[in-house]
Amino acid sequence: MLGCQAPILEAVLSDYWTGDLHDGDEIHRVEEHLFACSDCSARLRQMAELGAGVAALVREGRVSGIVSRAILNRLQRDGAHVRMFWLAPGETVPCAVFPGDDVIVAALRADFSGVDAVTLSVTGPDDAPFGRCDEVPVSGRRGEVLWANPAALLRQLPTMRLELTLTSTGAAPTELGRYVLEHSALPPPA
Amino acid sequence: MQAMVESSDGDLARAVAARAAAVAEAAESELYRRFAPRVRLYGLRHLRDEDEARDLSQQVMLLVIEKLRSGAIRDADQIASFVLGVSRTMTKDWKRLDWRREKLRETFLPASMVEAPARDATLDLDHLEACLARLADRERMVVLLTFYAEKTGSEVGKELRLTEGNVRVIRHRAIERLRTCMTSREGGR
Repeated sequence: MLGCQAPILEAVLSDYWTGDLHDGDEIHRVEEHLFACSDCSARLRQMAELGAGVAALVREGRVSGIVSRAILNRLQRDGAHVRMFWLAPGETVPCAVFPGDDVIVAALRADFSGVDAVTLSVTGPDDAPFGRCDEVPVSGRRGEVLWANPAALLRQLPTMRLELTLTSTGAAPTELGRYVLEHSALPPPA
Repeated sequence: MQAMVESSDGDLARAVAARAAAVAEAAESELYRRFAPRVRLYGLRHLRDEDEARDLSQQVMLLVIEKLRSGAIRDADQIASFVLGVSRTMTKDWKRLDWRREKLRETFLPASMVEAPARDATLDLDHLEACLARLADRERMVVLLTFYAEKTGSEVGKELRLTEGNVRVIRHRAIERLRTCMTSREGGR
């Protein structure tokens, strides 16, 4: 049993797995090779395993950072309990993590006219950096940025104030909105 | 058994077809061990359902071994293509095959030999979570949309205002980073 003499390129494997190979002949060639080659089928299995692991993490609510509406919708379809806090620029919103919550999402609204991408910076008490997301794609006059965190993680936070700032990216960054979350730590259930 | 592991696919297929008692059973087991996981992957890719993919792999392999036993496969060296062909046909007809699955299950191989291929080994999800957190935001979004929301490159591109080509490049890079992180001892920790 020799190793593979003509391994399928990683990019082709991932395109195949995600349904992004559009050429029927190429799909046929890839599948013929995968069935005949233990090395390449093992590589595909690793990729599938990685993808399944990512999906399992998200289903468990272990997702941090910017998410899209599609991900939120899927989470809700999968039965995850998503708690959302909507904030307009300049607004301060009290928030807490309740029993049963899986994912907490701050939905930051702003006017993104003429803006392609933004940076989200989050600071805690004494301006200590708490989080940062770069190159977040946005669009529209009434757009939103969805910042998600696992409820399990936020439950461990003490009562604190978080400041969130959205800034346009590019040569001349402009502040698009500043938001405040007043987080209250709830006592653990008796 | 070691000899079977080192045999070519074609040699295994010939051994099954020859039906020499002791050798054939070991050859069938080795063929199953070799091809069932590939059929399962094919099923996952086309059916996007773990249970259906596992059922598919069982049924395809049962049919393949039945055909080998009956001498219906002329070119044993093309066994991989044959398995793929059966996988394609069965996937297309999946919804209409309920009766046949049961019939095959009852008629042919001993249950001990046709254990469905195991799900993939369990990943260290804590480690994967840390690796995921180390990706750039855009890479992470592409990975989540691809593997969790099951979006194609063009659908991800629409969400993130990227071209399909860009999405594929970002996704490929992100997968490489995740893989490297997962295999490194300290990665993500």
